[in-house]
Amino acid sequence: MSVAKRNNVQVRGSGPRAMVFAHGFGCDQNMWRFVAPEFERDYRTVLFDHVGAGHSDLNAYDPVKYASLQGYADDLLEIGRELRLENAVFVGHSVSAMIGALASLQHPAMFESLIMVGPSPRYIDDDTYKGGFSAQQIEELLSFLEENYMGWSAQMAPMIMGNPDRPELGEELTNSFCRTDPEIARAFARVTFMSDNRADLPRVSARTLVLQCREDVIACQQVGEYVHKHIPRSELVLLNATGHCPNLSAPDEVVAAIRAFV
Amino acid sequence: MHLSDPSHNRSIIPVEDLNDLYENAPCGYLSLLPDARIAKANRTLATWLEYEPAELPGKLMTDLLSMAGRIFFETHVRPLLRMQGFFNEFAIDMMTKTGNRIPVLANAVERRDEAGGALFTRLTIFRAIDRRRFERELLNARAAAEAARQQSEQLRVLTEASLKAERETAELREQFIAVLGHDLRNPLASLSAGARMMLKVKSPEEAVKFEAMMQNSVARMAKLIDSVMDFARGRLGGGLTLGERVFQALEPVLDQVVAELASAHPERAIETHFELGTPVYCDAPRIAQLFSNLLGNAISHGAPDAPIRVEGQVRNQSFQLSVANAGQPISEKAMERLFQPFYRGEVRPAQQGLGLGLYIASEIAKAHGGTLAVTSVQDETRFTFRMPLAPPVL
Repeated sequence: MSVAKRNNVQVRGSGPRAMVFAHGFGCDQNMWRFVAPEFERDYRTVLFDHVGAGHSDLNAYDPVKYASLQGYADDLLEIGRELRLENAVFVGHSVSAMIGALASLQHPAMFESLIMVGPSPRYIDDDTYKGGFSAQQIEELLSFLEENYMGWSAQMAPMIMGNPDRPELGEELTNSFCRTDPEIARAFARVTFMSDNRADLPRVSARTLVLQCREDVIACQQVGEYVHKHIPRSELVLLNATGHCPNLSAPDEVVAAIRAFV
Repeated sequence: MHLSDPSHNRSIIPVEDLNDLYENAPCGYLSLLPDARIAKANRTLATWLEYEPAELPGKLMTDLLSMAGRIFFETHVRPLLRMQGFFNEFAIDMMTKTGNRIPVLANAVERRDEAGGALFTRLTIFRAIDRRRFERELLNARAAAEAARQQSEQLRVLTEASLKAERETAELREQFIAVLGHDLRNPLASLSAGARMMLKVKSPEEAVKFEAMMQNSVARMAKLIDSVMDFARGRLGGGLTLGERVFQALEPVLDQVVAELASAHPERAIETHFELGTPVYCDAPRIAQLFSNLLGNAISHGAPDAPIRVEGQVRNQSFQLSVANAGQPISEKAMERLFQPFYRGEVRPAQQGLGLGLYIASEIAKAHGGTLAVTSVQDETRFTFRMPLAPPVL
């Protein structure tokens, strides 16, 4: 099984440097459909699905390896080595922001800069830190995912319906977006929401852009500020977009912020 | 009745009131702005959520969701709506104004402008309390079925294993009886021969020689019988029993065992290294028996041309005695059964024994609060007995 097949790696565009896009919990590389094409003229764009998501190879899922974000970071490093990435730009959404940080710690030459969209190094509050969730709330989420099994199954089923508003999407719809195996999605949720990468932040040496949305219930503004404060060479840009997925809800703003930074 | 008269039908069908249909529909209606703020909600939904209809516009959708629901909405529902314009039949938990949870099923569709930008997201919402309860029960039943399957599988494996062990023990027991019969017959035959010879002796010296041979046979038989008795006691009476235990200097006891076996096997080299300054709290004859069994085994099974190495020392409040011999290592399969009764390994025809030696040795070790362990690698097989110097303080 090649790395390219395992992670459904898609390389497009051209340019002296590469820009790697990594999706977060809940979706797949489609997350970047309104952002990545904007960079194809100047960059070699690299998109991929984490194992368990989208069109990755589900057989490659190893519950031990992927029990920590390091397993995902190792995959990212393998993709980078396969494509001989050097001085590339890494764009990571949500949990993938930390996956990128871990990869960059291990191989600093691979990514010249990191762009973190809605990052959080720790979702659960403690005495001195506010991540936005109590441990009990995260447990509630995990058991909700367990109970919502039927809902997950429905989401898994291919959505073959057409889309009269956007006929250009018709063909892709036959495959449905963001397919996830419910069992893997549950495990990924656990890894994501239990992770704690606060100690890694000060060691990140790449220049870093933190893109923070308003009213993001998953990674609130305080968390974005925390990330900015603890990564030495970082900038924080507060977007007008609301929610957790500005790459979909406000792609123009995201594209502009990335351009201004790189 | 003039069924063909259209004016007649018109007069009895009331006109549907679309505003009333919206407000009081048997499902919830919710319209969201692109930033997920509520633009409009119907009365049915407001009532379910214990709000006044006018309170809902301007709130964030996530304000109406449980924490898990918020994460699901932000990571799944909103992205999918943006990508494919709809998301049907998703389950989510809403929260009422007073904090009660209502599980619902929803369909959502995104209304877009010409350029593909989002104008509204429209949701229809159905309460799904019974359905979700049913789903939860289905899940529980599935988990219970899986647990039961695993349990029965475990049981099957256990039963099979204990059956196999039982069958092997029965086999060994039969062998044991055969061996016991055989081993008793030999000294008995030599006793009988000795008795006949006694009738024909010509000098007292000859009589002494035959008497010694006969005593030797008696001793062998006595040893066999002792082993059987020890086994019976160990098996039937909750473990082997010890005689009186005292603090005993063990070096002379061990030397005696070495001397006995060395005289019976003068061709074999036995190297000993003892550091036994401190007396040990034990039943000395039993320790001698344990050592004799280990040393006897090393002589029967070890390579005949290499010395047997015996080491004994007192260290760290424990007494340790090891017997090592060269030769073929013990197979892994044999290791499993080594300390079980009747086990005799791959016996060569010349070798005798009941297969009780190691079993009894390990029972003696246990009775002293100690352990008997074995390591067997290429060129060396080593049995090591360890026990505490003093009885545990009660």
